[in-house]
Amino acid sequence: MPSVMLCRVEEVACGTALRVEPEGLPPLAVFNLDGEFFVMDDTCSHGEASLCDGEIEDGQIDCPWHHARFCIRTGKALTFPAVVPQKTYAVSVEAGEVRIEL
Amino acid sequence: MRAGFRIELASGEAFTCAPGDTVLGAGLRHGLGLAYECNAGACGSCKLELLAGTVHEVYPDAPGLRPKEREKGKRLACQCVPLEDLRIKMRTGADYVPAIPPSRRTARLVARRAVTHDLMELTFETDDAARFLPGQYALLHLAAPIATRAYSMSNVPGAAGEGRWQFIVRRVPGGLVSARLCDEFTPGATLELDAPYGIAHYRAGVMRPIVCVAGGSGLAPMLAIVRELAARAEAPPAFLFYGGRSARDVPDLAAEIGAADPARTAISAVVSMPGLASEEHPLTLPAGLVHEHLARSLPGAFAAYEYYLAGPPPMIEACVRMLVADHGVPPTQIHFDRFF
Repeated sequence: MPSVMLCRVEEVACGTALRVEPEGLPPLAVFNLDGEFFVMDDTCSHGEASLCDGEIEDGQIDCPWHHARFCIRTGKALTFPAVVPQKTYAVSVEAGEVRIEL
Repeated sequence: MRAGFRIELASGEAFTCAPGDTVLGAGLRHGLGLAYECNAGACGSCKLELLAGTVHEVYPDAPGLRPKEREKGKRLACQCVPLEDLRIKMRTGADYVPAIPPSRRTARLVARRAVTHDLMELTFETDDAARFLPGQYALLHLAAPIATRAYSMSNVPGAAGEGRWQFIVRRVPGGLVSARLCDEFTPGATLELDAPYGIAHYRAGVMRPIVCVAGGSGLAPMLAIVRELAARAEAPPAFLFYGGRSARDVPDLAAEIGAADPARTAISAVVSMPGLASEEHPLTLPAGLVHEHLARSLPGAFAAYEYYLAGPPPMIEACVRMLVADHGVPPTQIHFDRFF
């Protein structure tokens, strides 16, 4: 199974998100929740906004445009106007690199 | 006194904002596709980043903006009145480019008609032609005391270019503005009418059959759409679903459409609180929520239709959830402006 390197762990501080644009994939959001890393599609399932520009609170990301909230761990759409979940990816951390499995 | 302020977007476009106008209103009047929805500070769609200059905020506590966003210099374009030249960063899109740029004029009330016990149709006239797309809304500015409310037009623009604008106002218990409009506004009274606004307008080029879902005063823009269809020689068939609390909340929909071809629109209504039935208003309609009724009764694949929605936020949310999440309808086929 191919694995794609997204960034180094020190590039994403605790409680923040980093937008990465790997070749052949849609823009991705890398989240650091208390040292644990999660990755989902960065473009909100409702509109065109980049979720990395939103606020992170209680393990949820609040979209900066219409304030739809998603669970960072599962991608579940928690509040309107989003009704479709964000696609999430299986993440691994090896030798200080955040990687996803495709 | 200056004729206005210069507003420059980070993308390079610029426009003039007349004294007292909002950044959003001025940009749309200039023909720019500034992103927006409710025009009332609630939806957050018209968020901008203030890069330079100062503004007066009409509604500083608007719920469409989080305190953290305010700290970062974000503002709502629909609530910002410039105090000097501005530089802003704001979303734009082809969907928001106004087909008819909004403009302001004085409107005179010429008629009032009760639609139900708490819905009132108000007819205004203006000196200029009423130009708007079915499904769009107007901002009604009342003077002394100053108040602004958004109401959708329920009529279709007349072919003869007459300045006729009809609205359906629900008398909200304790609502100061709706009470003024329904009770104190008598023929001859005037207000400022700023229109047209809204992106949930009828798409004339789409030939899919049409589903209109309305609740409460959301009836007005849906009536405009089915009235438009009835006036067209070639138009797809339409379904009008209406949800009320009880039978007395449901207007005579067939009479309201007044269609030349009534067979084109299939009408159905449901009541959400059947317990409210009385001797005067017996339970003659099916009980249930309008999105559940739609899910049970719409024939064929749901993705084959174009949807227009207007009504209370929980109704809109339930409909969109059911259509998109449960039935895979592409969100681009569902049109609504989020009001609160």
